[in-house]
Amino acid sequence: MLADLNNLAMGLGIALEPYNLMIACIGLILGIIVGVLPGLGGANGVAILIPVVVVMPATTGVILLSSIYWGALYGGSITSILFNIPGEPWSVATTFDGYPMARKGRAGFALVLSFMSHAVGAIVGVLILTFLAPLIAEIALKFGPAEIFSVMMLTFSAFVGLGGKSPVKTVAAILFGFSLAAVGMDIVSGQLRMTFGSVTLMGGFNFIVAVIGLFGLGEIFLTVEEGLKVEGIVGRVRMRDIVDGFKELLLYPKTLFMGAIIGCWMGVTPGGATPASFMAYGFAKESSKNSKEFGQGASAGIIAPEAAAHGAGTSATLPMITLGIPGSPTMAVIMGGLMIFGLTPGPMLFKEHADFVWGLIASCWVGNFIGFFMVMAFAPLFAAVLKVRFAILMPAIIYVCAIGAYAVNNRMIDVYYMLVFGVLGYLFKKLDYPIAPMVLALVLGNMAEQAMRQALIMGQGSPLIFFQPPIALPIMLVALFIFFWPVISGWKDKLLGKKKA
Amino acid sequence: MRKADIVIALFFMVIGFVLLFDAVRLGFQWGVTGPESGLFPFYLGLGLVVCSLLTLRTIYAKYKKDGYDKLLMPKGALKPILWVLIPSVGMVVITEFVGLHIAAGIFLGFYMRSVGKIGWGTTLMVSFLVPLSLYIAFDKLFLVPLPQGLWGGILIPF
Repeated sequence: MLADLNNLAMGLGIALEPYNLMIACIGLILGIIVGVLPGLGGANGVAILIPVVVVMPATTGVILLSSIYWGALYGGSITSILFNIPGEPWSVATTFDGYPMARKGRAGFALVLSFMSHAVGAIVGVLILTFLAPLIAEIALKFGPAEIFSVMMLTFSAFVGLGGKSPVKTVAAILFGFSLAAVGMDIVSGQLRMTFGSVTLMGGFNFIVAVIGLFGLGEIFLTVEEGLKVEGIVGRVRMRDIVDGFKELLLYPKTLFMGAIIGCWMGVTPGGATPASFMAYGFAKESSKNSKEFGQGASAGIIAPEAAAHGAGTSATLPMITLGIPGSPTMAVIMGGLMIFGLTPGPMLFKEHADFVWGLIASCWVGNFIGFFMVMAFAPLFAAVLKVRFAILMPAIIYVCAIGAYAVNNRMIDVYYMLVFGVLGYLFKKLDYPIAPMVLALVLGNMAEQAMRQALIMGQGSPLIFFQPPIALPIMLVALFIFFWPVISGWKDKLLGKKKA
Repeated sequence: MRKADIVIALFFMVIGFVLLFDAVRLGFQWGVTGPESGLFPFYLGLGLVVCSLLTLRTIYAKYKKDGYDKLLMPKGALKPILWVLIPSVGMVVITEFVGLHIAAGIFLGFYMRSVGKIGWGTTLMVSFLVPLSLYIAFDKLFLVPLPQGLWGGILIPF
């Protein structure tokens, strides 16, 4: 504990260097703009800038990438409240109550509530990150291939069992992601797989390109389909709103902390910010005494999802730096950035690059802190970005997406892939195939396969190695339990004679 | 919606079979040095085929029960989507010839004029200034080379 605080102080020293601080501020501003714009989300906002950060030192580069994420987390809710347009998928739940409240003339109040909930979610998330990450990294040092594979099973089981989408379709999406990852050279034997003699396919599919297509273009198609109408509410944050918002927040301590905890749970397991916000909203609504107010501007309806979204976002850093398993799609992209710098995410990072790890953790503190004041002061300014005509924004966003997709590998084919992934992303969204687990499968594909094969070699071909005590066995059992949760909960309801509502 | 659902399920099934086919070529059993290359893809393929079969069964059961079919997209939504998709593809194709920045300028101008009905003045200004500033930012400041196409190097001499 004390050692952690020492390390944190050292990290703060790095994060507060003027250059890093400036980069963090730039990242936050870019992030908030990315958050405000529909079609340009945290994941692809970070993805587009990956080629740019290569010129920076590793710590600075990752501070920039993560600051964009924090900014996007804050920014998404501005437009949800003022325009009823969720700038990000994780702020959809905020539109349910935020917009009605703003229409009642309390836009500033709603903004303050949302930002403060964000801040609390961030604090809880960063606290967990600061004090749990070193512990988990210590345990993870003992992990062999079988244990790593079982943790991955747990990760993907969480999507299947707790993701809330059709389990079969989730599995299909995961397998599809793994299949894309398998295209190209087999890293163990060096054989070419699924290339069918094509040189282009030898390069495989880069997940950053997939992220830009699936999240960027796919999201744009959805926005265009719905027909974007900007009917803004003028929202200014006055001093009185801040005081009132703070008082209101104190009235809902349970909602606030449940939201933050749900968020952190979903960030670590991983599910990401989007399902976390919906789960927290549902939870707040169910546990509230006056659930009828929800949807008409209830304070709890803003607090819960916002705290959860930010909690999930920050705590998603934890599995990324300790296990090398990103807790959300955006974290997956940030992890991609890490690997470009030659840093392998995982427990060894704490040993070999302690300055980097603690710099990153400290920048989570700093970035979220500055971000909070930034949005409090300039929320209307950022909202004004949406005043630009959509016919100008949309082609410009696609242009920037194309830059990002090309710059990953300097391959023109990736830009075509981006277009294909855009159409796929649109269809997936429409047909209820979850995108986040697919992206994670694409990221983790090679690692999962390698772990599985190494474990099998260690076990001399016996799959029982995955059920080896003391670490792999419990993780695998929990993974299986969560995986079959949709089935198990069905039985439970049957046994108790419950009817589906 | 049902058609699209079936198409995607079949798409997954095809990918599953492709994986199985390739895994059999590579060998998916225990080799000399441990599991062969095709082991992992083999089970991926198998899983995909099973999943798509299950999805198809669900689709069949659901539509048999409901009888009606929801629309994949609301009426009239296809047009604006194609208005985005086709010019984007066009931009990428033009990029092959004149490079990304010029292609994007054309794309911006075209979309703003024809869909946004924005005045010529603004259109020309934006479709010139946005690519220019991104060119300066990426190619010059961050030294990230972007596609020049066949003639882009000649068209942007500086």
